[in-house]
Amino acid sequence: MELNDEITINAPRDRVYAALNDPEVLKRCIPGCEELVKHSDTELEARVVLKVGPVKAKFGGTVTLDTAGAPESFSLTGQGNGGAAGHAKGGADVTLTALDPDTTLLRYDAKAEVSGKLAQLGSRLIQGTARKLAAKFFENFAEVVEERVAG
Amino acid sequence: MKDEVESREDRVGKLKGLGCSRKRVEDARFTQGKGNYVDDIKLDGMLFGDFVRSPYAHARITGINIDAALKVPGVLAVLTAKDLEPLGLHWMPTLAGDRQMVLADGKVLFQGQEVAFVVAEDRYAAADGIEAVEVEYEELPVLVNPFESLKSDVVLREDTVDEDGAPKDGAHGPRKHHNHIFTWEAGDRDTTEQVISEAEVVAESDMYYHRTHPCPLETCGCVASMDKVNGKLTLWGTFQAPHAIRTVVSLISGIEEHNIRVISPDIGGGFGNKVGAYPGYVCSVVASIVTGKPVKWIEDRMDNLMTTAFARDYHMTGRISATKDGKITGLHCHVTADHGGFDACADPTKFPAGFMNICTGSYDIPTAFLEVDGVYTNKAPGGVSYRCSFRVTEAVYFIERMIEVLAIKLNMDAAELRRINFIRKEQFPYTAALGWEYDSGDYHTAWEKALKAVDYEGLRAEQAQRIEDFKAGKTRKLMGIGLSFFTEIVGAGPVKNCDILGLGMFDSCEIRIHPTGSAIARLGTISQGQGHATTFAQILASEIGLPADSITIEEGDTDTAPYGLGTYGSRSTPVAGAATAMAGRKIRAKAQMIAAYLLEVHDDDVEFDVDRFVVKGAPERFKTMKEIAFAAYNQAIPGIEPGLEAVSYYDPPNMTYPFGAYVCVMDIDVDTGVPEIRRFYALDDCGTRINPMIIEGQVHGGLTEALAVALGQEIAYDDMGNVKTGTLMDFFLPTAWEVPNYETDHTVTPSPHHPIGAKGVGESPHVGGVPCFSNAVQDAFRPFGNVHTNMPHDHWRIWKTAHDLGLHG
Repeated sequence: MELNDEITINAPRDRVYAALNDPEVLKRCIPGCEELVKHSDTELEARVVLKVGPVKAKFGGTVTLDTAGAPESFSLTGQGNGGAAGHAKGGADVTLTALDPDTTLLRYDAKAEVSGKLAQLGSRLIQGTARKLAAKFFENFAEVVEERVAG
Repeated sequence: MKDEVESREDRVGKLKGLGCSRKRVEDARFTQGKGNYVDDIKLDGMLFGDFVRSPYAHARITGINIDAALKVPGVLAVLTAKDLEPLGLHWMPTLAGDRQMVLADGKVLFQGQEVAFVVAEDRYAAADGIEAVEVEYEELPVLVNPFESLKSDVVLREDTVDEDGAPKDGAHGPRKHHNHIFTWEAGDRDTTEQVISEAEVVAESDMYYHRTHPCPLETCGCVASMDKVNGKLTLWGTFQAPHAIRTVVSLISGIEEHNIRVISPDIGGGFGNKVGAYPGYVCSVVASIVTGKPVKWIEDRMDNLMTTAFARDYHMTGRISATKDGKITGLHCHVTADHGGFDACADPTKFPAGFMNICTGSYDIPTAFLEVDGVYTNKAPGGVSYRCSFRVTEAVYFIERMIEVLAIKLNMDAAELRRINFIRKEQFPYTAALGWEYDSGDYHTAWEKALKAVDYEGLRAEQAQRIEDFKAGKTRKLMGIGLSFFTEIVGAGPVKNCDILGLGMFDSCEIRIHPTGSAIARLGTISQGQGHATTFAQILASEIGLPADSITIEEGDTDTAPYGLGTYGSRSTPVAGAATAMAGRKIRAKAQMIAAYLLEVHDDDVEFDVDRFVVKGAPERFKTMKEIAFAAYNQAIPGIEPGLEAVSYYDPPNMTYPFGAYVCVMDIDVDTGVPEIRRFYALDDCGTRINPMIIEGQVHGGLTEALAVALGQEIAYDDMGNVKTGTLMDFFLPTAWEVPNYETDHTVTPSPHHPIGAKGVGESPHVGGVPCFSNAVQDAFRPFGNVHTNMPHDHWRIWKTAHDLGLHG
């Protein structure tokens, strides 16, 4: 399953980049995130409640960040286990383009694989839900970053 | 005095015997919600078991922690392979000579595989317990394509290779690769190759008959109750073969067979899904023994679609040769059969690809060769015959597509090509190139009747006009005419070549006539909706002259019914129906002696007449069967012991070969891919017709399941082995919305070896229907260069076919 989209954020690129690395920001933005612990600069652990159609499950998982391309690009990979509901793993490549000193275009290309009950519900549900969740994340993200820049 | 004035016709009518459209006696309880299905069984203290299932298609299990699950309120026990191992029950034999894990033994081979069995006070506590079981998996590479599986280094079944990794011999001989299961051959390879290589015309096609599922409305389930006081195990369940289940349970559990009672209550459809033995049955029995309480296990819809008994999944490659005039000279078929993680196909032991060797169909093909390779993949096990005799739907689809492909190559009308190749009436009994002896048939008569009924010439003319209109831009709808002529092979079967796990495939009937002239008959089969209680009483009514309404039919309780191999493969009428007639004849033979005594004449001087024995030449002197029944019990007759009972175990001398001619007319919107079935005509010849109304119902049902399979129903997997069609949202079950009006018709060519000439009909419409619907879709695109596209022809695939042929401009 592949997801991609772009969103314009009214904030300078370095502020956007910093926020992507900030567990507090991520926790606020990830839909259903109950807990996000930073183990190192590149290792995070998350607990997320996910609901796809009739399946609702708590996913525990790890996220690894790759900051080698900072501040233009940023990658993350992660995997989560939802017990009987299944398993998910995936990654995203994020590129940040400064449209002007105060505006950044965020583009993401994400890939995800799911197994178990989640996958069996049929790709049309999963795809739609994943797209919605990703959109929701970046919407939240833009809002939080813009809020911080304004504040 | 009334009897004297009653006409013979009235007396026949009163019996409601053969040929009567008697209403189904079962329906009173079904339509009033008074059926008794396995999930209706509620026993004191009954527990509920359910499975922790694998989310992965292929993974090693590195740990299972059940501690948290045992703390969930209401959870009593959690069984894993480790608990079953000391009992030798962590694996079980399959019907195909392989073995299957009951609970995951170190690894899982398909998504949804049973990993642990949680036993709880109710279904909800069990579900909570399942959530709390922690299983550690280590993912392994997934193989969902049998061709890749045969090339892969990944060993799916470590238990089937020796220490060097070389494949051990399987149940059907040497294996070519560690993921290969068997090779099965029929026919003459060299001659077939030679005939094809020298032929004037050869047509070839690859076709994939996709994986699907019988999907009965009622899923599989059971209730196991071990009575520790008397040592008796009672097992209620959705079993299509209760006696075979009893024997299998006895063999694998060590409980003596007299201490096991298996009961199949009302069953809400089977279609092959309920033939096999599943881990749920074994775990329920063990859980009942462990807890000392009855344990129920009932699948939910996802469990059913994902884990118990899929159907089809045959990759077929065909070559067919003919003269320029269209006379077929040879046929070659190779099948790569995807059997999933365990070979649990339900076929007679000597036939690992079922009766796929009926694939020469209804045609006089002098030379043929068939080779089937079974392959392990990371998919669910099964391979049952979904509303057909063993793999016959695959065989008929294959030949009916090959005929169409050959017709294209010859630029010939497909109806004409069939006509010139049919086995002729005078050739029966006909021995086919792949070995079967067809009992009887009159294909040309059936075909001409069908073509005339639909005005075939007129349809072709209309189609030609439509093509012109389409090319001229006047319409966006194409017209397809689907043809299919099928011959089934049903009624397995003769014990000399048909057994399952060594159990001979005879069947049985036991009749007791009551003193007042009513009766009970018990059979080794079990109805799942076929209406046995109605039709078997009719067979008996005609044989013994008591009204069908006075005859109770009972099946499914192994403590009371005689041993039989159950109901699937359209075997009930050909085998148990024959046993019923034969047992009836034994009753009649004794009744004849009693009648002769009562009438004070010699046995040879009385003859049977509808419902009585009459003195030959003096029909006014008679004794009715009712009178004879009373005398049998209550009158001292010298040399004849009291009572009127009979048992027959019937081992059929041959299979029966029902056939039929189907035509489907379809309009296809090339821009939406939506097919509209304008007309469906089905002519069935099932030999002697017992109950025309029930036959019609069976034809409607079989055609509807054929429509489902041809037009959208599939079990699809993604590359990771996820089942993408695990719910009825994605798995197509046709409703009244999709189903057209069916026109049914018949000819009657009795089976010469069956006591009443009946051949069986429950599955014919499915077998003949699938290629008919598919051929209609393919025929619509034939003028634009289509040779073959794979089923299921859902809207998207039809749209894609139109698109690939350049019909979207």
